[in-house]
Amino acid sequence: MSDGRQVAQAYVELLAEDPEAESALAIARGRLAAGRRLRSVRRVRVFELTGTLPARADMEGLFHRSTRFYNPAKERCTVRASERDPAPFAPEEALVLVLDRGLERRPAGERWWKHETGEKVEVREGTVWALAFEPGEDAAARAGELAELRDRRHGLFANPHFQDWRPAAGGTPPWPWLERPRKRGKEDRP
Amino acid sequence: MSGARVAVVQFPGVNCEAETVRALARAGLEAEVFRWTRPARELAAFDAYVLPGGFSWQDRVRAGALAAKDPMLDELATRAADGAPVLGICNGAQVLVEAGLVPGGSDGPARGTGPDERVQLALARNRMPDRTGYHTRWVWCRVEETPCPFTRGLEPGTLLPLPVAHAEGRFASAKKGRLESLVEAGQAPLRYSRPDGALADSFPDNPNGSEAAVAALCNARGNVLALMPHPERASTLGQVSRTMGGDWGVRRDRALAAADGSAFGDGPGMAFFHGLAQHLGGVPA
Repeated sequence: MSDGRQVAQAYVELLAEDPEAESALAIARGRLAAGRRLRSVRRVRVFELTGTLPARADMEGLFHRSTRFYNPAKERCTVRASERDPAPFAPEEALVLVLDRGLERRPAGERWWKHETGEKVEVREGTVWALAFEPGEDAAARAGELAELRDRRHGLFANPHFQDWRPAAGGTPPWPWLERPRKRGKEDRP
Repeated sequence: MSGARVAVVQFPGVNCEAETVRALARAGLEAEVFRWTRPARELAAFDAYVLPGGFSWQDRVRAGALAAKDPMLDELATRAADGAPVLGICNGAQVLVEAGLVPGGSDGPARGTGPDERVQLALARNRMPDRTGYHTRWVWCRVEETPCPFTRGLEPGTLLPLPVAHAEGRFASAKKGRLESLVEAGQAPLRYSRPDGALADSFPDNPNGSEAAVAALCNARGNVLALMPHPERASTLGQVSRTMGGDWGVRRDRALAAADGSAFGDGPGMAFFHGLAQHLGGVPA
């Protein structure tokens, strides 16, 4: 980040099949035109930390032992400590990040982090929907159509009246992703 | 007894259907649970509809989001357009808002969709000081002047003690002033209030940070109501919380002290079901 603060992202996904993603896939394929050629849906929770951060291995240990972030008995966690670190997405997956507007911060996680490390960091949480479509489909365009709820036939993942959404293509999340100005413009759309 | 038939629409994860059926029956209505496995077209045989509270589809994706896509909502939209009363309680309210049935009507130019179909609001995550997530308590709700049949028997200004229990109950709109304009248009039959009747502008009287203290919204015609409090959990006097005073508290205390069964008399929540029965039976309120 330009202000000298470090960034880390932690991606958390269920080890077992995710009922939420399965339901989203079924509804999108069955009820929404933009979802007819959807092949798979994955739901990944993402935490983004900004501030003075320890090395990646130390962060992995901190995430692992805190109940504020994930449950290692039933979820896996992938930590990105730099933009070069791989994210748990395939290149063909179109990503849609959904944030509850004004409620992204996780004060309990911030308090826990300060207690454990002595460092004051900002913790934000969002949900990433990773969408894979049949070959030949314009994945970015269809993902955009599925992202924003408009009516019973259009959109699913974000209700724009209290949620923001941000796309990413090629399976590579932006760096940072959650801490960005909230205004959506045309350049933000897939 | 009006004898009108009411479908209590149950999606998987809904958990208030039995209490809702009992409250409707108590008001003289013929109510039955209508499960999601039945063909949606069978809904046409009913005179009114209630979507009860709970966690339809486990709140997957977002509270009410998946049920809102169910073919039953298309059928309910058709019936509502014909004037049939539709009440959504808590999760049912979330479904109606996510399906665009509340507030309904036009809110400016639509983008490739009919004006009555567009989703114009959200029931967003509660905004509470020093806490997050699910919150339950009894609150005061003030009745407002609206064309809504569910509150037709109540004078504007009446205060009702009702329980709320939700994590996503904050009426919100991306359009500034939208909630206020719906209040001015007479589409907010209930607003959170303080015990003295003044509008609740802060927690805990406004339990979720709802804009304009809105606790319930209806469509312009009044026949579709999204109601966050649970009237079916306040259907008898004895259910009224000891934390609530006022006239209802006095009546509750007297009924409980009498120990003669009067605690099973009508509680504040029955007003909604009696209002529906009067509407369906053509009985003046």
